[in-house]
Amino acid sequence: MAETTPQSDAAQKNADRRIIIRTVGLKKSYLMKGVLTEALRGMDIEIFQGEFISVMGPSGSGKSTFFNMIGALDSPSVGRVFIDEVDVAQLTAEELAYLRCHKIGYIFQSYNLIKYMTALENVTTPMAFGGVMPDEARSRGMGLLDLVGLKERWHHRPIEMSGGQQQRVAIARSLSNNPSVLLCDEPTANLDLHTGQEILEILQRLNKEKGVTVICATHDHRMMNICDRLMWIRDGKIDRIADRSDVHIEVGGIDGH
Amino acid sequence: MKSINIADQPWLSMRRTISITVDGIRYRLFRASVTVAVIVVAVAFLMNILAESLIKRSVASNTRERIDTSRVIYNWSAKLSSPGSQESIIIEVANCSPDSDLYRETQRFAAMNDEDMAAFQTHAQKIVFIFDFFNSLDYAKRRAMIHTASGLEILNRLRSPENMEQFKLALSRIRSVHFDMSYDELDAVLAKGPEIRKQIGTIITARRKAIAVINKTLKGKTVLEKLATADGPFGDTIRQAGFIFDADQTAPLVADQAQRLLDILALEESMEERPTRQLIAQQANILPADVNVMMMWKYLDGKRFATRYLEKMQEAGITTEGLAPERLVDLAQGRKENAALLRAERLTLDAGKGVLGLGERLGWLLFVSMLVCGIGITNAMMMAVTERFNEIATLKCLGALDGFIMIMFVLESCFMGIVGGIIGAILGGVIGLGRMLAAFGVNFLGAIPIGDIIVGMLMSVLLGTILAAVAAVLPSFKAARLAPMEAMRVE
Ligand SMILES: Nc1ncnc2c1ncn2[C@@H]1O[C@H](COP(=O)(O)OP(=O)(O)OP(=O)(O)O)[C@@H](O)[C@H]1O
Ligand SMILES: [Mg+2]
Repeated sequence: MAETTPQSDAAQKNADRRIIIRTVGLKKSYLMKGVLTEALRGMDIEIFQGEFISVMGPSGSGKSTFFNMIGALDSPSVGRVFIDEVDVAQLTAEELAYLRCHKIGYIFQSYNLIKYMTALENVTTPMAFGGVMPDEARSRGMGLLDLVGLKERWHHRPIEMSGGQQQRVAIARSLSNNPSVLLCDEPTANLDLHTGQEILEILQRLNKEKGVTVICATHDHRMMNICDRLMWIRDGKIDRIADRSDVHIEVGGIDGH
Repeated sequence: MKSINIADQPWLSMRRTISITVDGIRYRLFRASVTVAVIVVAVAFLMNILAESLIKRSVASNTRERIDTSRVIYNWSAKLSSPGSQESIIIEVANCSPDSDLYRETQRFAAMNDEDMAAFQTHAQKIVFIFDFFNSLDYAKRRAMIHTASGLEILNRLRSPENMEQFKLALSRIRSVHFDMSYDELDAVLAKGPEIRKQIGTIITARRKAIAVINKTLKGKTVLEKLATADGPFGDTIRQAGFIFDADQTAPLVADQAQRLLDILALEESMEERPTRQLIAQQANILPADVNVMMMWKYLDGKRFATRYLEKMQEAGITTEGLAPERLVDLAQGRKENAALLRAERLTLDAGKGVLGLGERLGWLLFVSMLVCGIGITNAMMMAVTERFNEIATLKCLGALDGFIMIMFVLESCFMGIVGGIIGAILGGVIGLGRMLAAFGVNFLGAIPIGDIIVGMLMSVLLGTILAAVAAVLPSFKAARLAPMEAMRVE
């Protein structure tokens, strides 16, 4: 268990690592039809460059909300998000667009593919925004679709694909501009064991070989084997953070209990 | 290790922006075509009303002109038969333009110099203004002001001080009525009354003399018969008598119309004979007693019937000199055209007033259709954009600049507006044209204001495009400025 790890050890280990995302007193509440829902209720976390971190927590605990905040896709109600030590709230619209386009790759829980575009077009859209020329975007896009095993289906629209296939298109799209940080909201939720395994391997490879920081919300037990740290969220708060090595010993401790 | 160095997202080139937008429209062709269809309908509706209004306006003035022309013969046969009344001369003078033949002719008969004639006309116009004022009142009000007087009697009546007082009192009490002439001016008009009367007297005397000259040359013929040769020696007689009778335009027109009228009268008379009447009855499959003039004209439109009709006329012993089957057909068609003219006059009665000279009713209709068009397009465009908030949010997540999203929607909506507008304008114009031709008949083809309609079409396209663009830009601006996930949440 995390508590059994000497604090000094972890602190020692992390001191010489660069912090890529940091949140301070992060809170988010939604006001819908007069009802105030507190989705995040004060989160402070530091995520290091190049690490693979799994975020766990029951449904409705605030994982997706947390991702939106650290991905600079929504503004916090209270608190700050620092990306590479820059306060996101201070960024201009152009800088935010650049950040979202080039530096962060998103895999949304609901995929958010664009309905009228084919798989390939969905993958190449971020490239177009990044200024990549169509021909190059096309060949790179096909490469990414190949990576997720959908090369043959490049001309299919989302509506013509299964949930898992859509999810893989979303994964390919998130990689289109070689991001530094990958935010994955349950990337294997709809995949069979085999395909899920392949995706996990892709994520692991990106993390190990290219040094991409991967932040992954998941209920997938296999994720534990490849991540560096685990983080549990409960009712909008960080319940627990632990290194994988410490958790690994305890079989079945995946839900944090 | 991959690090983050934040920079500004570059702007896409216009070419890339346009190509992405065009691709977008292509992908969503079905949905886009639904929106375009709404624009087409809205613009077509507006354009239809506009085209019909413009055609009606133009047909109205064309009709009035043609009716005036077709009545030249009546004016001249009346003028050569009677010198006219005081009132008719005043109205004539008030309404003619200073470079018209009638104006110069009257000046000649009145033996006035240019200045006096101009003063005379101004005066006549004031008197007509007074006539029109009283004619526009209902019976009770009119009676309260001038008792039962009418025409020139009104002026006579008002010359008495007590009657004038009665008029002024009634006018001050009836609030809804406005007399747009000062009492001083009215007094001046009344004061000039005797002088005007004298001048008109001179004109009438001169005209009577001229008519006497004409009458001497008639030698047992009617004026109408003589007018059929107005383009020949009889025209000279008219001119020598003192009338201004234009030899180039008026004379041939009068001669032609006179001949037409004579032929028409002859034909309508011929119908009373047995052989002709039987022919018509046979054709209509009715009893000879039920035959009427309308039937004759209806059948004379065909050449075969006209030929047989002429034979029957000869059988009945009527001279058919100068009448050929073609002439009969021509006369029948002329009557039809006249009927069309009268119908057109009735259909365009309200034209000439109101917005753009389109008449009150049409102006109002145009306003309403503009409103409907505007609301239709705005609604369709806003819906089309609002249902794409999700997409806008996704594009923003993927690094689209706010500006790109705006340009994309401006381009797209302009494109849709132009395409929808052009199709709609053509559709509306063609339908309007078809409907108006059906209502007025093809002989008004020349009266169609092509230029006005094209300008109207361009305006409609422009209106449709601007409305579409504005209606699309407002919501997309709202969406583009929100944080991506906030936009995603908008219903
Ligand atoms: N747009 C919204 N409006 C109102 N409340 C919201 C909205 N989005 C999320 N919430 C609320 O915020 C809380 C956290 O939601 P969130 O989507 O972050 O949960 P999650 O951990 O991602 O759950 P899951 O595992 O089911 O995806 C929930 O209680 C949810 O009801
Ligand atoms: Mg979620």
